[in-house]
Amino acid sequence: MQATIEIQELRKQFGQTVAVDGLSFTVRPGQVTGFVGPNGAGKSTTMRMLLGLDAPDSGQALIGGRRYATLRRPLTEVGALLDAAAVHPSRRGRDHLLWLAHSHGFPASRVDELLERVGLASAGRRRAGNYSLGMRQRLGIAAALLGDPPVLVLDEPVNGLDPEGIRWIRGFLRGLAREGRAVLVSSHLMSELEDSADHLVVVGRGRLIADTSVAELLAAASGERVSLRTSARTDAMRLLAREGATVAADGPQSLTVSGLATERIVELLTTGGVPFSEIGAHRATLEEAYMELTRDAAEFRTVEAGADTAPGAEAATATANEAEGTRS
Amino acid sequence: MRGALHAEWTKLRTVPSTWWLLFAVSALTWALGAVTTGTVSTDQCPSPDECHEDTVKLSLTGIWLGQAAVAAFGVLAMSSEYGTGTIHSTLTAVPGRGRVLAAKATVVTGATLAAGTVAVLGSLLVGRLILPGNGFSSTPLSLSEGPALRAAVGTVLYLGLIAQLSLGVAAVVRDTAGAITTVLGLLYALPALVELVGDEKWQERIHEWAPASAGLAVQATKNLEGLPIGPWSGLAVMGAWAGAGLLAGATVFKLRDA
Repeated sequence: MQATIEIQELRKQFGQTVAVDGLSFTVRPGQVTGFVGPNGAGKSTTMRMLLGLDAPDSGQALIGGRRYATLRRPLTEVGALLDAAAVHPSRRGRDHLLWLAHSHGFPASRVDELLERVGLASAGRRRAGNYSLGMRQRLGIAAALLGDPPVLVLDEPVNGLDPEGIRWIRGFLRGLAREGRAVLVSSHLMSELEDSADHLVVVGRGRLIADTSVAELLAAASGERVSLRTSARTDAMRLLAREGATVAADGPQSLTVSGLATERIVELLTTGGVPFSEIGAHRATLEEAYMELTRDAAEFRTVEAGADTAPGAEAATATANEAEGTRS
Repeated sequence: MRGALHAEWTKLRTVPSTWWLLFAVSALTWALGAVTTGTVSTDQCPSPDECHEDTVKLSLTGIWLGQAAVAAFGVLAMSSEYGTGTIHSTLTAVPGRGRVLAAKATVVTGATLAAGTVAVLGSLLVGRLILPGNGFSSTPLSLSEGPALRAAVGTVLYLGLIAQLSLGVAAVVRDTAGAITTVLGLLYALPALVELVGDEKWQERIHEWAPASAGLAVQATKNLEGLPIGPWSGLAVMGAWAGAGLLAGATVFKLRDA
């Protein structure tokens, strides 16, 4: 089976609300694809349609070219973790995996093997109701891996985890992708995917906003910008703006300059007698790139909390004020 | 289908409530049976031998209580999946919804029939031990007699059908409290209507069509002519209720988003 996920013109409406609105994208093997968007962007609904839990109004979601309902031994083709809390509290953790294994005729030894792999070997006999959230996430991942599937679908797997748990899952996901599996991981926080995703599918209001590799996105967001540290911020801004650069202040002593090469900036500052301590290519964070990406999607922005958009907005205002200040 | 059956059986046997409820089926049935057989007497009859009390039916009265545990058992097999969210895991492991429901119905019915057999045999034994003390010495309560065997087997089947009705209702309602209320309403409130309805014709209709009163007609071993509905036809009515419940459950389960 080709280890891919294909979402084609998928659409789903709940009453008046359009949850998924003509979404299309492809998830390829050998990499972790982050599925990002704010809460309510349609990520979970898309995943549920992919797994045959919800029926799409139109379009289709395919795994290896087939609809989920037509898979004969689904656990051997797709592993899914939708909601780690979805375990019967009075059933033992091991028994939760056991009934799943029995549905496909896997032996109990497979269950023990996975409990070992996710670090729950000693907790397997405890009732799942006594598990911490981190333990349930591990149990859910073990369940997803039972059939050794080439495709993995995980909905918000790090949500609510402690840093140790987050690190574990990130490493685990990278390892799974390195084994050649197609891994789709949703998150409402771009920063959660910073170190684990290779590719990103960004959605808002059920629509596709971007389908890009993390490297490309970061490069585009970083642009030709240069970060500069200087104690004479105003002097530097005036000097560089005169040469046609766009300068944004992003801290009391730091500036982001675009429109001028690094060497030219060094030359200008040196000849102009403006002191500076650090200069280098600006590296955007994934979060910045995400904000930039979603800046134009006006309706999308209203979903976001004001605080989330604030850093970008502040920088823009600062630039405008400073520029005006230079002219007067 | 084998995988689906195995998974459902493992699911059922790995929650403690299954065993508590199956134990409750017998315990409740025996307890009420002991009370009814213990409080009956031959005082009203001219002589003990002329007492036409249906001792088999009397010994099996406890089913009126035991069936509540069966209802809870059948409902929980489905509703707990929605309550805990495991329905998503179930459907990702076995995407065929008809298969899931059929597997559930099979294991739930099987477990109920086993528990029901214990409950019924125990009740007859209780009757056999208690009734002679009340003057009913000439009634051995032996299963070698046709009507007694019919009552015993029919009662076990009745419980199996209650389990199926409950499962079907739970597949429609999805919520534990709602589904249990619905089933208990059908079992207890419907027959109770008889007391409220003045019209005799309607009283008879309710007896014929309410699941519990019709289904338990199968327990009768004496005075069959006086019954509103015959033993097997009564059980068939209960069977229709169970079939309708499962059909409604299957239809909704297949059409609705999980």
